[in-house]
Amino acid sequence: MTRRQTIVTYLVVVPFAIFLAFPFFFALITTFKTNLDLANVQHSPYTYNDLAGKLHWDFWNYATFEHVRFLFEDTNYPTWLLNTAIVGGAVVAITLLLALPAGYALARLAGSWGQGAGVAIFLVYLVPPTLLFLPLSRLVTQLGLKDSLWALILVYPSFTVPFATWLLMGFFKTIPPELEEAALMDGASRLKALRLIVLPVSLPGILTVVIFAFSLCVNEFIYAFTFISSSEQRTISAGIPNDLIRGDVFFWQSLMAATLIPAIPLALLYNAFLDRFIKGFTGGAFR
Amino acid sequence: MADAADEVARAGSALTRSDLLRKGTAAAFAVSMFGGLSDRALGVYGPLKFAKKELSGELRIMTWAHFVPAYDKWLDGTYAKQWGEANDVEVKIDHINNALLYGQGAAEVAAQSGHDLFWFISPPASFQKQAIPVTDLVQEVSKKVGRMARVARKSTYNPKTKQFYGFPETYAPDPVQYRRSMLQQAGVSLRTWDDVRQGAAKLKQLGHPVGLGMSNEIDSNMLLTSLLYCYGGYIQNEDNRIVIGQGANRRGAIQALQVMKEIYTNGMSDEVFAWTAASNNQAFLAGRLSVALNAISIVRSAEDSGNQALSDDTWLASIPRGPVQRLGNEHVMGVYLIWKFAKNKEAAQKYVVDQMLAYEDHFVQSKFYNFPPWTNSVEGGFKTIRSLATKDPHKPKGKYSILTTIAEKYTTNPGHPGNSTPVMDEIYNTFLIPQMFAQVAQGKSSPADAVSAFATKAQQIYRKWHNQKLV
Repeated sequence: MTRRQTIVTYLVVVPFAIFLAFPFFFALITTFKTNLDLANVQHSPYTYNDLAGKLHWDFWNYATFEHVRFLFEDTNYPTWLLNTAIVGGAVVAITLLLALPAGYALARLAGSWGQGAGVAIFLVYLVPPTLLFLPLSRLVTQLGLKDSLWALILVYPSFTVPFATWLLMGFFKTIPPELEEAALMDGASRLKALRLIVLPVSLPGILTVVIFAFSLCVNEFIYAFTFISSSEQRTISAGIPNDLIRGDVFFWQSLMAATLIPAIPLALLYNAFLDRFIKGFTGGAFR
Repeated sequence: MADAADEVARAGSALTRSDLLRKGTAAAFAVSMFGGLSDRALGVYGPLKFAKKELSGELRIMTWAHFVPAYDKWLDGTYAKQWGEANDVEVKIDHINNALLYGQGAAEVAAQSGHDLFWFISPPASFQKQAIPVTDLVQEVSKKVGRMARVARKSTYNPKTKQFYGFPETYAPDPVQYRRSMLQQAGVSLRTWDDVRQGAAKLKQLGHPVGLGMSNEIDSNMLLTSLLYCYGGYIQNEDNRIVIGQGANRRGAIQALQVMKEIYTNGMSDEVFAWTAASNNQAFLAGRLSVALNAISIVRSAEDSGNQALSDDTWLASIPRGPVQRLGNEHVMGVYLIWKFAKNKEAAQKYVVDQMLAYEDHFVQSKFYNFPPWTNSVEGGFKTIRSLATKDPHKPKGKYSILTTIAEKYTTNPGHPGNSTPVMDEIYNTFLIPQMFAQVAQGKSSPADAVSAFATKAQQIYRKWHNQKLV
């Protein structure tokens, strides 16, 4: 890359990066603001102000940890984080267990109707939860899972599996079938070929499914809200808006902290596997 | 048969000395090792968990997340806990955001499973077929503490079925909250709606507009219906028939729409069409608004923010008078339903009655937000309520005493002069009232056309519920 190209690249990327990072910055600053500082519109929202409205960057003298303390000590936030991790982990495991063989079968074994079946499965993903939550509510109750994390572990795969199957199907198609045929010729079973040849090559696709399914679990609201009504059983997506918006009063600083904390590890996770993530998403695009 | 029974008895008593020693040792070991789990066991050893045995099991309650977190903490951790211990019932209270209550209620109805007691923020008349009537409970409380307040009675009684479908738990008066310094500076009074109409432009020029919502949210519903009352534009009559399209009601509604259009044009901005229930709070607390109608969450939040200047400058007043009267809706009408599918109806019934028989703590702990549906459930009635409110330490001293006047004289139910029917419930939940006002304010419809269109829709809703024999 020439020096000129590098400069142009940075000119484009840096403002874009600042724009995207801005909500995180704003949330971080707001998290530690005092009520008085936050409520006064004469004060700058991007730093910390004293009572007279004078700016201060030495935030440790003018900021407060009270709202973070409130979040961790006066709400069930730590429990919500743990519940989210449990549900996310379980759903990812179920999704991989079902979507890997399904995606592989549709890509390799289903012949000409595999593509159509893949699209049909993907369409299931598009049915909105706002239509499904009432009938599913009845189902969850009949199974005795209401107010339990198992309700979410059961229901979430209904939208993660179709998407993951469709994604993996596209990805498996990018892998040359000759690789497996060679293994089959050498006496490996279909399952062994899948395990030893296909899966290691498919790691970007699998990682994409893991991150995507986990993100969907973290973001999902309607099922999490409808099927679980105890605060201590909630996940973060339902717990935060329920316990930090009271009547028509928003607990802004705690809300910002509550959304920022899970966003950071997810952002780092995305960043760490960015190349593979992109490869996973675009894997089937050229076949 | 007797022989067989004797045989079993004999076999049971055939205990050798070594058996006795072996079993006795094992029993002593088990008791010493697992005694700590006795509270989870079916319970043979140790005292009973609670003293009384009239009730049992678990009582599950769904209610809103109160805007005063300390109230929820007290309700869950102190009041409900003590009540549970006194009645041998495990009370479990879940709190959700008030905007989500109807959706959650609908989900529980669909599943025919959920909580025993479900609290709604406004009269949930459209759910009444799913709830058991509570007329006997209402009578029981009335016998002990006197007559129920009119606003509560009209909110929960269905004259068609001649039953109370819900148990009123609380109501909140809806005062005007205003920045006194700003109104003084602009020379604006809030005595009448005409004063507001004339003063709105001056306040906007100061940079502090009036904040009256015309959006799909509860505050707009309550405020705009109140405005209709003040101009005599009733949606339904005492017999719960839709009358807004007729005679004096139509004329009153047209006037109210016209006044609101002028207030909007001269004194507000178009943000009011996209407000949520929290928007007026946020704009007021940010120092931008000069006037808003809301329960006391704005002024209490100002106090909690530590902004003494804002808090001291936020005063409360009754709703402005219209050409016909000064009358407003309650801001919140908390109503408990006991679902037909509730598992512990007995405990639910006792809980609501007991709560109402000693309400003063609820009034105080909620920082005067929760008013009692039976005024005398706070001993001494409005006299005590006024006295408690007057003692509030925040400046200006005695500012909360106006709440008593509003509750006593100027607060009514959605659907006034009729009842809070399923028709009104549906009109509120589909936000037809704010939409009618917004259409006129934005110039998309004339007041007369908007009233006609609204009346047509309201009639359709009325027919639907009339066919279900609920109005």
